[in-house]
Amino acid sequence: MKRFRRREEQASVGLDVGALAPMVDMMTLLLVFLLRTYSTELAPTPPSGPFALAPTSSEESRQGGIEILVATDAIYVDGQRIAAWDYAGTEGVVKPLYDRLLASRTKARAEVHADGTVPWRRLGRVLATAQAAGMEELAIVGGYRGSL
Amino acid sequence: MKLFRREPEAEADVRPTLLGVVTLMFLLLFFLLATSSGQRLGVVDLRLAAPGEAPPLPHAGLVKSVVVSLQPSAARVEFEVATTDIASSADTRELRAIDVPSSGDRVDLAALLAALETVHRIDGSQERAEVRPSPEVSTATLLAVLDVVRGSSQAPLFPRVSLQ
Repeated sequence: MKRFRRREEQASVGLDVGALAPMVDMMTLLLVFLLRTYSTELAPTPPSGPFALAPTSSEESRQGGIEILVATDAIYVDGQRIAAWDYAGTEGVVKPLYDRLLASRTKARAEVHADGTVPWRRLGRVLATAQAAGMEELAIVGGYRGSL
Repeated sequence: MKLFRREPEAEADVRPTLLGVVTLMFLLLFFLLATSSGQRLGVVDLRLAAPGEAPPLPHAGLVKSVVVSLQPSAARVEFEVATTDIASSADTRELRAIDVPSSGDRVDLAALLAALETVHRIDGSQERAEVRPSPEVSTATLLAVLDVVRGSSQAPLFPRVSLQ
């Protein structure tokens, strides 16, 4: 009996190198996947309502600047609700947005995060308003959908 | 001779090293998951034509201008081509157009890419293109079309896009 017990104990001691190597491989693959697909830049979202960025294949990253969020119901600047579309008129500059951007003219770049369903008649007004308020650089931010 | 033969060395135990690596990977994984989000962002830089802005100087190559008129489910690529390479001739331009069909209720992006590649083959030095979306075009459609017009980093088409 003693002889048999000793053999069993010897077989179960520690981990086998052959079992650890695939684990390291898996971890490396997971790390590479996460580094490629995850981002430390948190996408802004409106406090309520659905919001989904349009997909893009552009790999350029954000460069800072004023953050304009165009949702289906309202416009937000740096997280603050600026204007509701129902009260923003139908054409021309969006006055509350224009005033807010004029007040923060220390930044000359604006990045627009627009919901994928927002039509150009609204997005175009936001971009034109930002341009009228002196923003020299404009960019649309989308959700990266490139391959690994 | 046997006396001088080296005894085979005992194999070093690599398990502690491997376990250390696995532990580090675990820690890195948790750190990454805690500090990042699943959505990576991509930025498309734009150039918006100012009202009353003078048109840019004519391009020296064969393709003078490229305009993509965009509807919610269709597009049209219009481009002006010089029919002669004599720069002093004023009336030697020809406006050509390629209609891009719809694919279901969307713009056929593959057909749009083929149309733009056709223009690019005529004059590879032209980098500017203008996109004119109609009011009902969604942001998703616009960004998809902008991606096609700009091309990829490996095969750029018209990287300097302006919106009208």
